[in-house]
Amino acid sequence: MSIYLRNVLRFILLVLIQVLLLNKIPLRWWSNPGGIPPYTPYIYPLFILLLPLSAPVPFMLIVSFVMGITIDAFMDTGGIHAAACVLMAFVRTNVLAALLPKRLSEYANMSPNIKSMGWTPFLTYSVILLAIHHILFYIIEIWSFQSIGYLLLKITLSLLTSLLFVTLYSLFFSSSINTAYHD
Amino acid sequence: MRNFILLIRRFWNIILFLILEVISMSMISRSRNMQGMDIVSSSNAVTGYIYKKQNDIVYYFQLKRLNDSLLNENARLRNELAGRSNIDTFSDVIARIPVTIKDTTAKKDSSGATFTSTGSVKVVRYASYHYIPARVINNSISNDRINYLTINRGARDGVRREMAVVTGNGIVGRVADVSERYARIVSVLSDRKVSTKLSDGTSNLITVWNPGSPDYVVTEKVPVYTKVKKGDSVFTTGYSFFPENVLIGTVARIDTMKATNSKNLKIKLSTNFRNLQYVYVVEDKVGEERRQLEARAKQN
Repeated sequence: MSIYLRNVLRFILLVLIQVLLLNKIPLRWWSNPGGIPPYTPYIYPLFILLLPLSAPVPFMLIVSFVMGITIDAFMDTGGIHAAACVLMAFVRTNVLAALLPKRLSEYANMSPNIKSMGWTPFLTYSVILLAIHHILFYIIEIWSFQSIGYLLLKITLSLLTSLLFVTLYSLFFSSSINTAYHD
Repeated sequence: MRNFILLIRRFWNIILFLILEVISMSMISRSRNMQGMDIVSSSNAVTGYIYKKQNDIVYYFQLKRLNDSLLNENARLRNELAGRSNIDTFSDVIARIPVTIKDTTAKKDSSGATFTSTGSVKVVRYASYHYIPARVINNSISNDRINYLTINRGARDGVRREMAVVTGNGIVGRVADVSERYARIVSVLSDRKVSTKLSDGTSNLITVWNPGSPDYVVTEKVPVYTKVKKGDSVFTTGYSFFPENVLIGTVARIDTMKATNSKNLKIKLSTNFRNLQYVYVVEDKVGEERRQLEARAKQN
């Protein structure tokens, strides 16, 4: 499967998982026991995490903007997801350059994933980028620093559950993620 | 000029990043300042279609609970109907109800009720509300500012902006945005205020939602002298866009504020926002006339 087709399919799959499954989690009574505020796990940033290493930055910015706008249309958030996604795509290259041992140009035809990077670097990479995404998202969404505790609680809850689903997705689709670009 | 182009090429990534961020920020501020003016929203054809397909599937798993709630509502409506069997407020037609009166001195009343010589009075009543049933195809409760619902009725079915939306036993919100087949509703779980009255008649109160829980709202600045106890019902008034006397919920906790000399009531919503399935869009037939009158009063 070509690299483009694979990414387009992943785009559609992740949007559907996000919109049809994960957005329904806060509606269930068991998702917030004991007065925990309702939170949503976000799996769609994984699309930006898994873009090929060779993708140029302007291309990544535009693709993440499109991804954010799509989620915004489904979730009625105006443009918050788009803003968070664009920031995430912008800092992605720097985070990768700091985490990977070699220069980025030496990893041809590869995408950052568990098999190519290993568990610990990949999870570090996801935690950093997801944290950036979630922090910007919730700051714009809540737009007040009066209750910092509430803001931090929402960010933490959402980040932990997002990480859980990102890990699950990587485990389920690990074979399909690895075969194409890894050489 | 050449240097300028080189400069742009060098900082192209940052420039593009800033452009995209500015676009998203302007979209966010647009959606915040002008309700229902979003460029992207869940009432458009594609998202509406996907939500509708999903709801068609999930729908079957909820039939049992749905049946129970409809049965309860039926029973409640039948009770209400039995109490006022001589007034037909829900149908569209003019109801003429003969009422026999003892008073024979007055021939014509100033309020428009005409007395006939036989001693019966014709009361002319118009139904002022029309209810459009709709199915909720998307629902959110986890946003901290505004939560939206999407329903499968749109402009084609007579839904207009600013109409109130209720369920069988509580309030839901108001219509923010309408497309051909779908409509988007700002739910009560947002910063919109609801005009409220208590069961003892204390009126002029305001209910708002505090982010954090989809089950509770807060009625603010209740005067300390009002007698309120836990479990009392709280209703809407006719001042805002909701129909009068729709149940909001029951008082769950009473906090007395020493500083402002008032009470804050924490109210358990009677609407369960977690499993909304059917709602009614309320068309206010005389609302337009009232709004014009109030606008005229504001001009003077």
